[in-house]
Amino acid sequence: MPNKSQQIALVLSRVSANFEDGKERVLVLKDMSFSVPAGSFVSVVGPSGAGKSTLMRVILGLMPHTSGDIVRNFSRPAMVFQNYALFPWLTALNNVAFGLRMAGMRKTEARKTAKKKLEEVGLGHLENHYPAALSGGQRQRVGLARALAISPDLLIMDEPFSNLDTITAESLKADLLKIWRSYGITILMVNHLIPDAVEFSDQIIVMVAHPGHIKSIIPIDLPRPRDTRSAQFFKEVDLLTEATRAIS
Amino acid sequence: MIRSITHPQTRAWHRAHLLRHRRMWLIMAGVIGAVLLLTFSGYFGEVAWLTLCDAVLRTTYRLAIAYSIALVLGALMALVVGWSPFSDILFPFFDILQNLPSFALIPFFIYFFGFTSNMIILFAVSSIIWPILFAILTAIKSAHKDLSDAATIFGAKGWRRIPYYLAPLSFPAMLTGSIVGIAIGWEAVIGAEIITNVAGFGDFIKEAGASGISQALVAGTLVILIIVFVINRLVWAPLLTESSKRYAE
Repeated sequence: MPNKSQQIALVLSRVSANFEDGKERVLVLKDMSFSVPAGSFVSVVGPSGAGKSTLMRVILGLMPHTSGDIVRNFSRPAMVFQNYALFPWLTALNNVAFGLRMAGMRKTEARKTAKKKLEEVGLGHLENHYPAALSGGQRQRVGLARALAISPDLLIMDEPFSNLDTITAESLKADLLKIWRSYGITILMVNHLIPDAVEFSDQIIVMVAHPGHIKSIIPIDLPRPRDTRSAQFFKEVDLLTEATRAIS
Repeated sequence: MIRSITHPQTRAWHRAHLLRHRRMWLIMAGVIGAVLLLTFSGYFGEVAWLTLCDAVLRTTYRLAIAYSIALVLGALMALVVGWSPFSDILFPFFDILQNLPSFALIPFFIYFFGFTSNMIILFAVSSIIWPILFAILTAIKSAHKDLSDAATIFGAKGWRRIPYYLAPLSFPAMLTGSIVGIAIGWEAVIGAEIITNVAGFGDFIKEAGASGISQALVAGTLVILIIVFVINRLVWAPLLTESSKRYAE
């Protein structure tokens, strides 16, 4: 639970962004305002086309915003992608070591750290495999290890489980919660599964499409670890499902 | 005429390519057998082997230099264009340039550089560069946005983007572009030698063939066939195997 004395990792105030499609300008994000306390877990839910991924790119500075202010109180952001986005020319180990090498760490040291991270996500034995030889779940674990390797202070996850089968996703979710607790990093996750969002989050941002904007921000105050079968849990899921149903 | 290479580097494509190489071995064994048979039967008695070797070496040397220049220049141009905000403007411009029949340009090259070896090399560069440039450009432009974002987020920014992201990303494309480019390069170098009479393989077979099919012409053709095959086996096949292993989807 974030408390008042906590630092704020990210603040957006009235942020808007456009897509330039040839001559046409399409407003994709409109007046987005929210803040993410450091160390908290915040989910963004909403229908496809609501600009959730665009929001992540804007936050990371990969795409410019046209108006509004973004306060970024983080220095080492990392991201986990829906399609893994591993570098196919590098082995699992070198994928994980990539960020460290770019930050100027020596090769042997970077590989040592990377190996530790791979072991942490349960893939120590696959360090020399290329991404092509890994399953979807394994690839996403490498993606997670690559992100954790640079000791991020903000971890952005763009629908990290949506390409995985349920069993694989469940085990990865359990690991993610463990990692979040032990690292104490701020996590901002795009999600399309409401029960997942309720299970993980301190706060859920509900987005609406055309143009993408915030419909509501719902705090989840359930005690952790969360019992996904409790009446309270179902109540929260119901509430959120109602909120999103009204918009889709 | 050269067409831009847009086909993706799929596993099936690589597999088909490798299979073709295996069949090539069989054919080449036949060719080498024929050469040996012809040699032992005294068919090549009249052939000036030293002149032939000299001619082949000159041609191969020109091709190697031309390919190296085309690779560096093509890759650089692809990086600059692929990276710059002007790529959409420059792309059609290059498309027109590459569609110029290359031999139509040979009078210009002769005008500026004379009947020299350097002229042939530069002329060959002007042919080899296009498939390489377009292959790399296409690879950079068609890369998944997530991959490019990942490279940025994990620190491959500024100039480091070239060795750590763009170069490995376009490696398979560079490979196919090079294979096509070198095939065109043989044509360009030998053709230019035939046209300009500058000493080389083209000039050699022109002389040899002037009076009809001669032993020297047959010997020359077989030698060039073997060289092309050896380069394929020793350079491109292993690189393709490596590329198909790493870049498979």
